[in-house]
This record gives sequence, structure tokens and C-alpha cells, in this order.
Amino acid sequence: MTHDDDRSLTQALEAAREAGRRCAMATIVATKGSTPRKVGARMIVDPDTGLVGTVGGGCGEAEVIEAAYRVIETGKAQRVNVDLTDDLVSWSPAVCGGVMDIFVEPVSPGPS
Amino acid sequence: MTSLHPAEAARLLVETPERGGSVVVATVVGDNQCTGNRIALIVIESEEPELQGSLSLKSGTDSVIQLMKDILENPRASDGLHELTIADHLSEVYIEIRRPVQELVVVGAGHIAQPLAHLGALLGFQVIVIDDRPEFATRERFPSAEKVIRADFSDPFRETPLHTRSHVLLVTRGHKYDYACLIRALRMDPPPAYIGMIGSRRRVRATYVQLLEEGMAHALLDRIHAPVGLDIGAETPEEIAVAVAAELIMVRRGGTGASLKGVERIVERFFKEDK
Repeated sequence: MTHDDDRSLTQALEAAREAGRRCAMATIVATKGSTPRKVGARMIVDPDTGLVGTVGGGCGEAEVIEAAYRVIETGKAQRVNVDLTDDLVSWSPAVCGGVMDIFVEPVSPGPS
Repeated sequence: MTSLHPAEAARLLVETPERGGSVVVATVVGDNQCTGNRIALIVIESEEPELQGSLSLKSGTDSVIQLMKDILENPRASDGLHELTIADHLSEVYIEIRRPVQELVVVGAGHIAQPLAHLGALLGFQVIVIDDRPEFATRERFPSAEKVIRADFSDPFRETPLHTRSHVLLVTRGHKYDYACLIRALRMDPPPAYIGMIGSRRRVRATYVQLLEEGMAHALLDRIHAPVGLDIGAETPEEIAVAVAAELIMVRRGGTGASLKGVERIVERFFKEDK
């Protein structure tokens, strides 16, 4: 993650918090093999405003977004294992052959 | 104190390096009674280390704090997962670390400065460009720079004082300007991390003669990287910028600057032809 990435994520998190919106944050905590993004890559899923950042474009991101909605609903963090090894025949330009271990957590609105 | 909110942790990751400090954020991501809890350890030189947030546990926080301290001590540490026993349960902690932001101060906003500023930003430097000509010191010419400053070369660092994380590149349009800025950079105490100056052999020699005449200590001359950059035969401004950027990486990582082919000699060592 570059300093600029850190900065835009901070802004997204603070905006959601100030507006009192509940959202979710996904972080790649480990990878195996070839993955589009590396450890530390982050994505905020904000049901009202959409996505900030990415954990890998087409490759398995849909799975993460689904998990994020579950996390927002239940308020409970989840680990998602995204296996991209069986995705080699897809037409996605982001095709790759690794596994991503992603932590998806709820981000509560309002003051902590 | 409760678990650090993700927004607060994110802010610490951005702001601490900008203040010249280091920060480690630990998040419990393994299955645990405190999954999702987050704490941060902030270390800024000349200040007491500060812990923010807490884990919702009666005990076990100590092992996480110890891990964070170990990470800080390890210059090669990067973001990643660590297995850890927290309150008698084996769990996983995700660690994020950010070190003080390194700064690249490009003095002179001419045609070499532009690719230099780009490459510097790409390498994670916070780039500051300084020139005395308002038509050159513009944001439009340096979109990836953090700051573009119009300042007189007689006192170029007044607005942005140099520090130990500064890497100074002197690429002004004239020898006398480079010299004026060089002498200021050399007199900084503590000295900046790197001082590089562009110029031909003749120009560099002339500068050193002048510095010695000025009473500058001989040992200080050796601190200057001049002519700046690695010897890769660079000619265009872009190529020169790459040569300079390569030298910055070399200084940062402690490389030799030699071609890896020559260092490894794989053909010679492993594939000798039978005569």
C-alpha cells in the first residue's frame, strides 16, 4: 500500500463514519501463488457510495463484496478465502492462479 | 479504552509517517473472543511510545504488544499475518507497519526535475520541488509532487527545512545556484540522508575547489553524490532520472550498483565450456 492508498482509504472511512453509514473493510492478510493484489491491499465496501480501493479487480472480488454485505448485516467479521486457481479459463483480464486470504470486518458508524 | 476504530487506525497509518514517526497496527483476525480488535503502537523520535486502543481481554494483550515491538525493531518487517497465543488461544494477528516518510527535495524545476519528481513519487518519496522561477515552479509541471515551492536559491530551504529523512537533488539551471544550495545543505546539522548534485566532471571539480576555498572540511566533500546517478550511459532527461533514481535506491537499500550479471557470473560459474 502506498501512502496515497492509505490516504484515500482514510478519507473513505472517515466520510462513512461522519455520515453515520455502516460499511465493511476487506484486507488481504495473506496470499499464495500469483494474485492480482498483494498483502495489505484494501477495499472499503460502502453500500451507499460503492467501493474504494480494490483487492483484485475481477478476480474474486465479487465474492468479497458478497461477504462484505453479510458482515455489514451481522456486524461480525469474517475470513474469506478466495481461490483463483480454478479461474484460469475465464476471460477476465485479471486472471491469475493464486489464493487470497481476506479479512472482512464491519466498520461501525458514528463516534467510537 | 476500547478497540481502535478502523478510521482512527487508518489515520494513524497516514499521519504518523508524515510526522516523522513509525507506527504498528495490530488487528486480531483469527477466530478469537476479540476478533476484529485493533491496537496501535506509535513511536515518534523524542517522544514516549504511545499505545492506542485495547483488546477486549482480561489478559493476553502483552503478547501482542511484544510482537509489535519486535516488528518495529526489525528493519525488514512488512505487513503480514502472525500466529500468536492470545489468552491461551492460538490466534492470528495481522500487522501493518509504516515507517517515517522519506523526502525527496528536487532543487531546480527544469527538464530533468520532471521525470525525477515522477520517479521519486513512484519510489514512495514525498517529493518537494523548489525553483526561483514562478513559471517553472508550478503544480501543472509536477503533478506527483507533494509541494512545489517558489523560493530564492540564496535561501532555498527556508520554507521546508531539511532533516535526516531528506534526499536533496541539486539540478538547477546553473552552477552558481547549485553551489549556493549545496553549501546550505552541507551545513545542515544533522545532515540530510543524501545530497546529489548534477554536473560534468569539470563542473563538479570547480565546485569542490570553491567549497574548499570557502573553508569546507575535506571530509564533507565525500558526502556529496556528484556527478549524480549510476553509470548506465544515460543521456535523455528521462534516462538521467532513472540513473539518479537507481542511485537513491542503492543508498536506501545498501546495494552496490553493479550489474547483477557481473555479480552472479552464472555462465562462468556453472556453465563452463569444455575446451
